[in-house]
Amino acid sequence: MSLLWKSAPILKNLVKYVPAATRVQKIHRWVAPTLMELKRREDKLGGKITNPRNTFLEWNLEAELFAFGKRLNEEFDSDLLLQAFTDRSYVIKEEMKQKEIEFNIKMKDNKELAEEGEKFIEQYIQVYLETVLPKFPLEGISGIKAHLTCEETLANISLHLGTKDIILASEYPVDNYILAKTFKAIVGALLRSAGEERAAHFVRDFVITQLQGKDINEYWKIEDPWIMLVDILEKDGIKIEPRLIGEVGKNTLLACYRVGLYVDKKLFSSGFGETVSSAKEVAALEALKKIFGTEDSMAPINFKLQGIQKTVSKQHKQISAS
Amino acid sequence: MSNSNLFLKSGFVRAPLQNGVGRYVCQLQRIVLKFCKSHGGSRGLRDFIEQDLVDFASNNPGVVVYLKPRRHRSPVVVAEYLNGDRVWMNMHNKTHSEITKWIEVLRTQQGDIASTRLRKYQYTDYPSVQGPWTPFTFKDPKLNVAELPNEEFGANNRLPMSATEQLRIMFEKQTLDVKPQEE
Repeated sequence: MSLLWKSAPILKNLVKYVPAATRVQKIHRWVAPTLMELKRREDKLGGKITNPRNTFLEWNLEAELFAFGKRLNEEFDSDLLLQAFTDRSYVIKEEMKQKEIEFNIKMKDNKELAEEGEKFIEQYIQVYLETVLPKFPLEGISGIKAHLTCEETLANISLHLGTKDIILASEYPVDNYILAKTFKAIVGALLRSAGEERAAHFVRDFVITQLQGKDINEYWKIEDPWIMLVDILEKDGIKIEPRLIGEVGKNTLLACYRVGLYVDKKLFSSGFGETVSSAKEVAALEALKKIFGTEDSMAPINFKLQGIQKTVSKQHKQISAS
Repeated sequence: MSNSNLFLKSGFVRAPLQNGVGRYVCQLQRIVLKFCKSHGGSRGLRDFIEQDLVDFASNNPGVVVYLKPRRHRSPVVVAEYLNGDRVWMNMHNKTHSEITKWIEVLRTQQGDIASTRLRKYQYTDYPSVQGPWTPFTFKDPKLNVAELPNEEFGANNRLPMSATEQLRIMFEKQTLDVKPQEE
């Protein structure tokens, strides 16, 4: 009791500092314990159960497959499309079930189609990028291609085409690997049922368009841009000269230098940096972008090329940055 | 009520999966119409099913339509989108024309947009075309070869002329005008 009296002035002060006008949302005392109890009971029953969409009463696989093709404006062979959606794990599960009731129906999984599709996607993207970015070196193109065909990108595309619920797998929700594989298999199925050109346009419209609004230089890490620039220009007999063309805040934390690269006393490119050497590197990167035709002000990539382009790899420069 | 009190997720105006850059894909993937065959609350939805549903399905072959009759329960429309959103809409006592319009809304939207708060009404990947400002933008190239301190570049010409300065100039002018008369 005496403690309470002693602390009375402190309590008084505390009351003074609590603003009277703040409205605090009233949450009843029973809410937290009730939620905790409900959670405890849920965990006891084996965690939250999420039913996959294809176990619902309102589910018709045939209608879903039909709508899938129509939605994307493609004519799929229905058997091939079903095969493309069948994952290996589902086939194994079904075979186990069939063994129990001594029944045998052969099922095909999408492995073959996925391999076919993957090969086609890689080839087509390579050719398309070489046509659209004629000055960009092969290393850079393979960097962009690696980004476009990585599991994450393809899984995202696959998810947004609505494959998530239709995929036949043993476990739901399906993981990125299965999503990406299904997308490749769909391309494979389209390749078989509608021909190369339709499949190519499908890849162009859904995979290559992912480059829209992205900086393609980000997918290729150049180790030493200065050496690469000098190597490229030496082949054409051009000498490049770096000059310090501006400095601000020297000997401070916010120092900023500007280096310009000159060819025949004409400014070719310029770059900023915290030190002179980093500014020179940035300037070299800018110069390389100019040479490769991928500067910030480049025209947007053409996503409307028709048909399958011919390989033009021979014209492309192979650059090794040592 | 401020934004912090609204339990709305926020977002920008974006098309899912660069929709429309390559080809347009209708984002509504399936729609479930739940209704009662006898109750009056489902009257509008039953009319819609009788008169418009076949046309709707044939015009939108990419949308899977499910009908789910349930005895003595309110009519409901559930729309599912390609990005995983699910929109649940109560259609109790709604008329045929209202339902037609709501289903058109569900068909043309790209997800559960009613439950996102737009941070801005526009979006761009390139906020600046000419690049950000730097200390070197708009700088006179003469400065590169000038020897500092320099009177021309060191002059403070940013402030307007003060009253004192104006008076001084006026006085100097006067004295110049006066002097020749004396001689």
